[in-house]
Amino acid sequence: MEFEWSVVWQALPELFKGAQLTVMIALAGLAGGLVIGIVAGLMRAYGNALLNGIAFLYIEVIRGTPIVVQVMFIYFALPLAVDIRINPITAAITAIIVNAGAYIAEIVRGSFLSIHNGLREAGLALGLPSWKVLLYVIGPLAFRRMIPALGNQFIVSLKDTSLFIVIGVGELTRQGQEIMAANFRAVEIWSAVAVFYLIMTGTLTLVLRLTEKRMKIL
Amino acid sequence: MSLVEFKNVTKSFGAISVLKDVDLTIEEGEVVVLIGPSGSGKSTLLRCINALEAINGGDLEVDGISVRASRSEIRLIRQEAGMVFQQFNLFPQMTALENVAFGPRRVRNLTKAEALEQARALLAKVGLADRGHHYPSELSGGQQQRVAIARALAVKPKLMLFDEPTSALDPELRHEVLRVMQSLAEEGMTMIVVTHEIGFARKVGTRLIFMENGKIAVDGDPAALLDNADNPRLKEFLQHVH
Repeated sequence: MEFEWSVVWQALPELFKGAQLTVMIALAGLAGGLVIGIVAGLMRAYGNALLNGIAFLYIEVIRGTPIVVQVMFIYFALPLAVDIRINPITAAITAIIVNAGAYIAEIVRGSFLSIHNGLREAGLALGLPSWKVLLYVIGPLAFRRMIPALGNQFIVSLKDTSLFIVIGVGELTRQGQEIMAANFRAVEIWSAVAVFYLIMTGTLTLVLRLTEKRMKIL
Repeated sequence: MSLVEFKNVTKSFGAISVLKDVDLTIEEGEVVVLIGPSGSGKSTLLRCINALEAINGGDLEVDGISVRASRSEIRLIRQEAGMVFQQFNLFPQMTALENVAFGPRRVRNLTKAEALEQARALLAKVGLADRGHHYPSELSGGQQQRVAIARALAVKPKLMLFDEPTSALDPELRHEVLRVMQSLAEEGMTMIVVTHEIGFARKVGTRLIFMENGKIAVDGDPAALLDNADNPRLKEFLQHVH
């Protein structure tokens, strides 16, 4: 069997549209996931019993169920259960936010707690309130330690968007699937799709590398 | 009014009682040196003063404010009582200058320019005018500890607490830290120093306190106590540290 390059060229515009949607879902989802993850992670690390319990429950439920089940629940079950109707893209973004948030929470908790307690005490001893110590002293140090683990999570979440094929979101994998169904050129199409993902994850890796270079882990 | 007043203070960690009914009054201008075997409660006593440890019984007032007061009042106590740690605890992501400017900026709300100017003067005072742009990891232990002293002074405290400031330093680096502490004492700063530096206690201290088992066992004039200790436990302790 010969590799037909023309099939790839023809598919490019469609695949490119899919890739754009993939990037959009991943970026929006990770931005939200980062916010939720920081809040839940800090609740776990410094919250009282109630806040800690809420964050723990959230993390356990999300980590304990597959992301496909989560997005099916958001897209198909929520409208029936509480009459919230959302389009597939919103469901996809929400799924990434909720899913990545749980994993990021544990990354945040771990890195904040790994900062030597003496630094916290030094900040408090100057007369700062706790939140300022977290913001100006512990946070910047913890952030540096988060970068490698966050990089992992960003890449995992980006690739997880391919699972949203199940709710019919026209992201990259779905586009590949549709083109393939029309022309049956599996080798060309799935190779092209794989390369698209590699370019996206490779770019992410590069950005993280640069960030790490600029911010030494202390 | 005295600057620090312990009234029947007790402190325990779980079942272990660390401070037992401590009564202690410290006046402005005193240089109190706290010595004692490890586990005697001297570090804990120091850390109770700026409420890094919460007391369990009795009361403790610093410049008239109780450590049992509200969080915002505890922050006032901490601004009055600068602290220097055994492990320096400089903020590693900030240069020496930024470390010293940090308190004034974030606690006293000075502008960046004002805080940096003040920080330069303080670094010069501890003999590190030319090290302002170095990060802690680029400084020796003695230099780091002097930056830490400048950082504590930057908030303009009335009182300085030193928790074994030279214990993590090589012998040849200790004197540079002790010299800074001595000049601070000569300026009239009230100081409470947990240390094993008996020479410093004799030369700079105005009062020596020997702690044992969570209690103040001996309290008096450093030279007199060091030359002829009549407390047998203090005598034995001094033989081990000399």
